[in-house]
Amino acid sequence: MSSRIYLDYCATTPVHLRVREKMSQALDVDFGNPSSMHWAGKDSKQLMAQARADVAEGIGCRPDEIIFTSGATEADNLALFGTLRLYQPNEAHLITSSIEHHAILHTAAHLEREGYSVTHLPVDENGLVNPEDVRQAIRPETKLISIMYVNNEVGSIQPIAEIGRIAREHNIRFHTDAVQAMSLFDVNVDDLNVDMLSLSAHKIYGPKGIGALYVRAGLELSPMLVGGPQEHSLRAGTENVPGIVGLGAAMGLVCQHRADERVRLLRLRKYLVNGLQSIGPAVIVNGLEEKTASHILSISFVGVDAEMMLIRLNGEGFAVSLGSACNSKSIEPSHVLSAMKLTQEQIESTLRISLGMTTTQEELDLVIGAVVRVLPRVGVH
Amino acid sequence: MVNIREADVSNYKVCVIGGWCGNRMVIVAEHLEELFSKAGLPCRVTTHSVWENYSQPPMANLILQLLPAFTAAETNCPVITIKPLLVDLDHPATIEKVLKQVQADYGM
Repeated sequence: MSSRIYLDYCATTPVHLRVREKMSQALDVDFGNPSSMHWAGKDSKQLMAQARADVAEGIGCRPDEIIFTSGATEADNLALFGTLRLYQPNEAHLITSSIEHHAILHTAAHLEREGYSVTHLPVDENGLVNPEDVRQAIRPETKLISIMYVNNEVGSIQPIAEIGRIAREHNIRFHTDAVQAMSLFDVNVDDLNVDMLSLSAHKIYGPKGIGALYVRAGLELSPMLVGGPQEHSLRAGTENVPGIVGLGAAMGLVCQHRADERVRLLRLRKYLVNGLQSIGPAVIVNGLEEKTASHILSISFVGVDAEMMLIRLNGEGFAVSLGSACNSKSIEPSHVLSAMKLTQEQIESTLRISLGMTTTQEELDLVIGAVVRVLPRVGVH
Repeated sequence: MVNIREADVSNYKVCVIGGWCGNRMVIVAEHLEELFSKAGLPCRVTTHSVWENYSQPPMANLILQLLPAFTAAETNCPVITIKPLLVDLDHPATIEKVLKQVQADYGM
């Protein structure tokens, strides 16, 4: 392996130095338990309050509407379980999409096993939910709509504000998983018409193990963890103060840079697409450019085995990711690409390349060169 | 390449090549070993993950790969793609192709 180039920012991001510095205060100096009544607790509580305010400012809500969680998976679980379990199974219906993260899909499947009903909306060939499909799926007992903001595999940007309007018209609670949107989009809960929103620190240059759920004031939720009164009694347990401080710092960081980064990464993505497509006609970009987040590129190299390509690229020092996953029984094609009705051959030839703050044009030149070298070695024989 | 006709047949070595999905690679290898045994073709079936090492092909009499890792020129032995076994362990056309190759090497 020569140099190491990271192009998998959708999986996780490195912790930014500014974030690390802020976290070290909570680790080394203000280490107290925020529930303690003495000075150490008070100092720690103050750090946490500042972080809560920073997170709230980042999405345009009040600090007391932020519930810190262990990450977006827990936030998604809390939004879905917390809402549906307020009702008897036969009284509550959930609408979601077929391209959600597994944190939503598996939670929805669990709710179905408990007797709740769930509608999975289809997407079009670009991975987009049609708001009219949401409207059509609404039933008298629909209690929650959950549609992700930016898809993590293909980057499709969902019409969240429009879906939120429909939810409002019908007085239905609306949740969005905004994990992949936070780094580049102006996320404002009022503009988006959302009642709940999940976010994660490690996708925005913060630490792993911390996230948050925005819950609009006045909404009731059934708690997932019970014990102490932390986080409005919705998430019991001593708070992960260093993580929370890291999330607050990361939020401040992305809010400061996201407008510039959006433009810069859009230019870089176009550069990468042009470079890869110049290799040959069998290179297909998945999704509609104007409806795709500028840091995510889902690309199919038709006739190529993507896993072998990933292995060879990894061997040359490039970190990218795959559209499929394996379990002990079979290789599972990506549920997102399947929902977009890509052919099996196209799914198996798809890589995801995701860009971030440290990505440069020189790095993209190197990865394009590596793809040119690797492609002849990874064709499906 | 070992001439199997002159060698002890139990030394005939089949290597299943897999990638990230190590469990599946092992399942495929165990299934093939059983199948060879039932067909009266006792072979040593081993596995090799290209996720761990993709630059050096393993030494074998026959390479069966779940993904396009090596060419016959690189391995100096026959190479057969067995990707369909990822979905169907008994994929008829693939199993037939593999058995034919082993039988040919056994001189049956």
